[in-house]
Amino acid sequence: MQRAMSSHTDGEVRIVQRLKEKFPQATSLKVVDISGGCGAMYEIHIESDEFKGKRTVQQHQLVNQALKDEIQAMHGLRIFTAVPKQ
Amino acid sequence: MNNLMKLSGRCLLSGARLLRPTVARLLSAEAGQTDLSQLVKKDKVVVFIKGTPAQPMCGFSNAVVQILRMHGVDEYASYNVLEDQELRQGVKSFSNWPTIPQVFFNGEFVGGCDILLQMHQNGDLVEELQKLGIRSALLDEQADEKKK
Repeated sequence: MQRAMSSHTDGEVRIVQRLKEKFPQATSLKVVDISGGCGAMYEIHIESDEFKGKRTVQQHQLVNQALKDEIQAMHGLRIFTAVPKQ
Repeated sequence: MNNLMKLSGRCLLSGARLLRPTVARLLSAEAGQTDLSQLVKKDKVVVFIKGTPAQPMCGFSNAVVQILRMHGVDEYASYNVLEDQELRQGVKSFSNWPTIPQVFFNGEFVGGCDILLQMHQNGDLVEELQKLGIRSALLDEQADEKKK
């Protein structure tokens, strides 16, 4: 099911904002509501030097901490972190 | 009851690999009373999922079960958080991780479904299992391929 990429749900916008605040050095950030716009489940892709040297689970923990409040309202989330290629 | 399941698991293991996942020990009833830090160390591989390995009740939990099955890991402890709300909350506080499923190797929190999938895809899982003294079935498959 293709959604028009020009518009984002309120939830996506809010989460992008929060991540921009907590990861100011992020070079790439994408948040997608994968629950059909219901705000129940999100997929987060984020690349930042702040993840350098950390194990995947630690990188994900950072994202979890950043979205602590938002996560309370979610049913689930998928996180994909990466360190930007030099 | 648990001894029965362990025995049946062993009988099934001695034969050819089954298409259905072999029964992992289900101890959700006891989990509430045991300290979580002890629980995750009791077995080399411990998973907290929604449902059971024979009947996962969530796509992400199922992914964990299937990945372990692909690597031939059929002896692991599995705890059904749907049966125990205290456990469901407790494990999230314990590992400081907000979602289920959760995978532990040798008492150490590894991650959820996405991390396990990543490890499976990049070969890390085979290596981690090796550290636990478990030989991944995928290594045997690769060996078979080479023989052909």
